[in-house]
Amino acid sequence: MAGEATWLHAVFSSSADARDAVRKLAEAKIAAKDVEIRSSVPLGELPPLGSELRTRVPLTALCGGLVGGTAAFMLVSLSSMAYPLPTGGMAIVPMPPAAIVTFEGVAMGAVLSVVATVLIEGGLLRLRGRPGPFDRQLADGGIVVSVRSRAVPPAGWASNAVATEL
Amino acid sequence: MTRWGMAIDTDRCTGCGACVVACHAENNIQTVGEEEARNGRAMHWMRIERHYEGVFPDVRIRFMPVLCQHCAAAPCEPVCPVYATYRNPEGLNAMVYSRCIGTRYCANNCPYSVRFFNWHGGEWPEPLQLQLNPDVAVRPAGVMEKCTFCVQRIQDVKGRARSEDRPVLDGEIRTACAQSCPAQAIVFGDLEDPTSRVAQLARSDRAERLLGDLGTNPSVIYLKGGE
Amino acid sequence: MSAPSKGREDVLFRPLSGVRPGLVACTILAAMLAGVLWFCWGYQIRYDIGVAGINRPVFWGLYIATFVFWIGISHAGTLISAILRVTSAEWRRPVTRCAEAITVFALMIGGLFPLIHLGRPWLFWYMVPLPNHRGLWPNFRSPLAWDMMAIFTYLSGSILYFLLPMIPDLAILRDRAVAEDRGRFRARLYRLLALGWRGTPQQWFSLEGGIKAMAVIVIPVAVSVHTIVSWDFAMTMQPMWHSTIFGPYFVAGAIHSGIAVLLVAMYVLRRVLKVGDYLTDQVFSNLGLLSLTFALIWGYFTFAEHLPVWYAREPSETAILLQRVSGDYAAAFWAMVILNVVVPLGVLSFPRGRRPVGTLFVGLCVLVGMWIERYLIVVGSLRFPRLDFTLGSYQPTWVELGILAGSFGMFALMYLLFMQLAPVVSIWEVREGEQHASRVGGGVEPEPHPVVPHPLGKRA
Repeated sequence: MAGEATWLHAVFSSSADARDAVRKLAEAKIAAKDVEIRSSVPLGELPPLGSELRTRVPLTALCGGLVGGTAAFMLVSLSSMAYPLPTGGMAIVPMPPAAIVTFEGVAMGAVLSVVATVLIEGGLLRLRGRPGPFDRQLADGGIVVSVRSRAVPPAGWASNAVATEL
Repeated sequence: MTRWGMAIDTDRCTGCGACVVACHAENNIQTVGEEEARNGRAMHWMRIERHYEGVFPDVRIRFMPVLCQHCAAAPCEPVCPVYATYRNPEGLNAMVYSRCIGTRYCANNCPYSVRFFNWHGGEWPEPLQLQLNPDVAVRPAGVMEKCTFCVQRIQDVKGRARSEDRPVLDGEIRTACAQSCPAQAIVFGDLEDPTSRVAQLARSDRAERLLGDLGTNPSVIYLKGGE
Repeated sequence: MSAPSKGREDVLFRPLSGVRPGLVACTILAAMLAGVLWFCWGYQIRYDIGVAGINRPVFWGLYIATFVFWIGISHAGTLISAILRVTSAEWRRPVTRCAEAITVFALMIGGLFPLIHLGRPWLFWYMVPLPNHRGLWPNFRSPLAWDMMAIFTYLSGSILYFLLPMIPDLAILRDRAVAEDRGRFRARLYRLLALGWRGTPQQWFSLEGGIKAMAVIVIPVAVSVHTIVSWDFAMTMQPMWHSTIFGPYFVAGAIHSGIAVLLVAMYVLRRVLKVGDYLTDQVFSNLGLLSLTFALIWGYFTFAEHLPVWYAREPSETAILLQRVSGDYAAAFWAMVILNVVVPLGVLSFPRGRRPVGTLFVGLCVLVGMWIERYLIVVGSLRFPRLDFTLGSYQPTWVELGILAGSFGMFALMYLLFMQLAPVVSIWEVREGEQHASRVGGGVEPEPHPVVPHPLGKRA
């Protein structure tokens, strides 16, 4: 439990209280990496802790779509041309069917890259189940703010908390 | 280039059905029995359709042998997802039985209804298995099959001609149906060779193609209109 | 902790811990019915495809009709939920989860039917683009190849679109199961499925962006799937199949049947799990209006599809049309019109009809009606090919009917398992909705930005 002891946890019942605590931490110039905010619903706007929230979902969706579409088009055209069969005058790589398959490839590539982006950006799939003392309250809708103790949070930052734990 | 084709003179056809029987014997086509035939599963790669002309009492029955038309722009070919049916370089619409997975899409897109699905696989009880033609595959259940223009006979003649170092002669290849037609209504040959009999018949005034307006460009030519 | 949701949420968690004998009994019954499908399919593989009633020229029969039916139903979830998400319709929140589940399960079953229908199903992988030493690839000119690609894309997309918004809920379940130290199986399952979700702002931000993006991508995919299913028919030369309206006609029909199944499923959930607090009368009424809209659209398309055929009097198509409206299939055709248009119009036009019982009735009617539609399109057209020497007939055999019945068992089985393993209502989305409502309604919010910004927009 050595790692556990280095965190101070506080659980808040409303997003306003949690926001308030985060604001106090931000004013005390606590670094973002020393604070962890957890909630069971999206909190929306939070006071800045020196780092921006950002997601590359739109970009990766676009890139994934391009890659998927290119792959699908190559699959259609190259596989048809690998052994061109006589078609009675019809095209070997007709464009409309190629467009249909390419469209599905675009969608497939975009979907997969969106999911991969969410998983990577959120640090998911690591399954590091580091449980906290307030997981149950978190599940019931509480908001847990944790600060690394060595970051020396200002006194009273968690004064509105429902419960705290060293 | 070669394009195998067939001319069928419906003015000569008597509807005797010899071609149907010959086709069954040549191509190992199963006979499905009464009950299955009633269920719409009779298999005749070559079948004789009847239609009536005129009003009673002045009625005339006409016969029309229908088989795979080996269309140059075959509707069945592009819809097969696994290339089990394709156009071979000599203009045959070929079936690769081992490739067929049985989607039956080709049959739905055939306006001539000449594709037959093998619903149960054939049975040739002793000693009938001895009459099977060794040159023709016996198809398993679950595949599509249809007229091949007796491709085994084409191959046979081509091989013989090659060994004798000569071209295939016109009339040398006879499909089972053409061979057995007592009225000699069926002529088989190369449509691309302008001197062949079938090409001459194709140019005749009486020549027409079945559902020609669909643009499938069949290789079977029907001759009709004389007496 | 958002006070109003506390006691209310219990109803969502109740089926997710322990064992409820009633649900287990239903699950076993559904599994037995599902077993009928596998038995019949096994029988068909053993004794050849000929045990089905299909023949020449009715090469496609009940299997393909049912395939189209299930694929259509799959449009309930992902498409409707994506449209509602993209348009930020607030009443979607309790509906999306149970709707997306319908999509995933209906697609799995629908995707099974083309395989059941194959003459040699063990060779279905010939259709899959696998590199092989013979250099043989699938024929991408075939609508069936497009179909397979589209269904695969839609199924993968739907499963991910179903699971992605479920991750935070699974984390809630994990935390509850761990804290209460009961149901070790569930604790382990939810820990695995929650993927280590912690609920940090970054995770939420990425997740919401991801969900929005998925919703946008999945809408055209869903449209493409049923369009391509319709093209399986429309690309052929078969009379009454070769129709340019088939794409939108099928998509409209798919959504129509999808809403119907959603209404039935929601009614069952409300009765069995007592989730009336979430799936409120208002939700049923809204979906009822949607159903009414699609009944009208579908009716319009049906008229627009048949009128030009009747007017042009092209012989091979007219033969089929006359059989449909006044011949062998007249009873089925008019029953279809009544079930799909007249009943929804008669019931859903009135506020009283849009109560849950009314929508349940309409849902069941539309389900039957839409199945008839697919059957008429497949069998009713194929019986009359262009060369009218070969008129056909078709009677489904017990094998085909068993597989049809079993497919409903499969669906019930999967849905019952889902009800017992995951919350049928998205907990976090409902909580978020309550927050919105209290902010907008209460006006006690001191924050500068009371509305959550668009997740794809930048924020500091």
